[in-house]
Amino acid sequence: MAAIRTNGLTKEFGGDVVAVDDLNLEIEEGEIFGFLGPNGAGKSTTINLLLDFIRPTEGSAQVFGMDAQAEAATIRERIGVLPEGYGFDNYLTGREYMEWAIETKGADDDPEELLDTVGILDEADRKAQGYSKGMQQRLAFGMALVNDPDLLVLDEPSTGMDPNGIQHMRSIVRERAERGTTVFFSSHILSEVEAVCDRVGVMNEGRLVAMDTIEGLREGASGRATISLECADPPDVDGVEDIEGVATASVSARTLTAQCTDPAAKVDVVRWVDQRTEILDILAENASLEDLFNEYTGGGRDSDRDPGEAESREASA
Amino acid sequence: MSVLSVARKDFRGVKRSRGLWGVAIALGMIAAFTAYVSGTATGDSTRTVQELFRNLSLLLSVVFPLVALVATYLAIAGEREGGGIKFLLSMPNTRLDVFLGKLLSRAGIVAGGVVFVYVAAVSVAMTRHGAFPVEAIFGTFLVTLVYGGTFVSIAMSLSAAAASRSRAIAGAFGSYFVLVILYIFPVIRIPDIVAWVHTTILGADANPDLYNAVQYTSPFMAYRKARNLVLPDELRDVVFRSSMPDDISYEMARTDPELPAYLTDEFSLVILTFWLVVPLLLGYWRFNGADLE
Repeated sequence: MAAIRTNGLTKEFGGDVVAVDDLNLEIEEGEIFGFLGPNGAGKSTTINLLLDFIRPTEGSAQVFGMDAQAEAATIRERIGVLPEGYGFDNYLTGREYMEWAIETKGADDDPEELLDTVGILDEADRKAQGYSKGMQQRLAFGMALVNDPDLLVLDEPSTGMDPNGIQHMRSIVRERAERGTTVFFSSHILSEVEAVCDRVGVMNEGRLVAMDTIEGLREGASGRATISLECADPPDVDGVEDIEGVATASVSARTLTAQCTDPAAKVDVVRWVDQRTEILDILAENASLEDLFNEYTGGGRDSDRDPGEAESREASA
Repeated sequence: MSVLSVARKDFRGVKRSRGLWGVAIALGMIAAFTAYVSGTATGDSTRTVQELFRNLSLLLSVVFPLVALVATYLAIAGEREGGGIKFLLSMPNTRLDVFLGKLLSRAGIVAGGVVFVYVAAVSVAMTRHGAFPVEAIFGTFLVTLVYGGTFVSIAMSLSAAAASRSRAIAGAFGSYFVLVILYIFPVIRIPDIVAWVHTTILGADANPDLYNAVQYTSPFMAYRKARNLVLPDELRDVVFRSSMPDDISYEMARTDPELPAYLTDEFSLVILTFWLVVPLLLGYWRFNGADLE
């Protein structure tokens, strides 16, 4: 039985914004599924539909075969959720929140142990409202772990966490998955999903644009390459595009750049240009998973990310 | 029980709010002060205490709706805007559990406020006058509990239907204005407005029963009349005089009002029950259908 299944799931807001468009998704029990996409792609809307926070315009969703809407409370007994857009504003301490989660789920977990697992035991008696974002995220994650759920739904879990925290959370996720827990994990950061997930679905503008294993996606990406040739004189671009395996070619000043769909075509491009002009430098690049992700998502709705973020992503990978 | 766990968590959070304790202490002091300065010309201590609770409840009729509205209006709207609802509904709770749990907690807090006020007033009255007229005290106490409950119900429904704090605030103060202020503010009172529409705009003959009936739809008027059921006849709060025969004297009006059934004191229970139940049903219906983001 599928842990999560959606059938033509559609959500429109205000009649003209289609946040999720005819989504068909099937997540098997026991897998770690990465739900990837830029901000605003419809990931959180999908999760909110699964959790019955919002109601579908069309279609339906099932969790462990139960209808997300009709059997919401029964579903909630079997899942742990780290929701998006939560808030700790009840004047309660971290420990009290954890105790409340344990009590509400009718579990017999030890609050101290769980607080320790997520690394906030030292801060347990402070008001959760005053926690930093990363600590709140740890507490919320800890509350999701209560009663060892069959399915963990984590919406952008690493938001606000330091690299250490992210690392730690990942190892907990892996450990739970090894014990049979299904994990549904959303993120707008590729490297994060890459590091833990068995399978990935990529959302863009409400639609599922790709769904594959990480290896499968990587294979799809490895077929693409870019080659740039710096020449002594401005090279002639005519004819380069006719080489088999070359998609596009362009010249900027004295540099010729060719996009290849077949990596082997790079050599042909070099040969072809070398026969006509003197080559000073060669720069070849195989496409990364990230390039592929950007291609699927059109660079995202906020494609001009600052380099700092890209670097920290490298570091956390 | 999920309802109880929602209620317990809510109650635990609310009782740490400083504002709540401030209001409770202010109310207790008002009650104690009212009790302290009470006195009658006759010097009959039982009568004095009965009158005290008549006056205190009249005061509460204006103040308590505000307390109940303020204590309740954020019950759900605050969780929705602040994101607490995400946790409540990530746990094995239904929306009904959340709604009932919140209602239970806030109703308990408001009831606690009534108890606090009564303890303050009764203890000062006992010390000063040494009398304990059971019917007047417990009677007004129960009626005040129900009255506070109607405003908890109204505020719960507004809170459940509102997507944000600001809308819930607007709703709470709007309803206080429409249900209380418009009945006590002399220039723009509801019966005057209704009479003006009826006679000037619709050109009909004046019909005091109709105006009084419209006025009686408010929990505020219902509360004032409901107190008459538990206070001695001589201390009755005489309202709707325009619906009584012209030759009835003020003193007679206290004992022999001769009103149509829908203007009697007893009818106030119907009105209070309506305000207790109907807003809750509407509020839950809206909450259950809402997209909670």
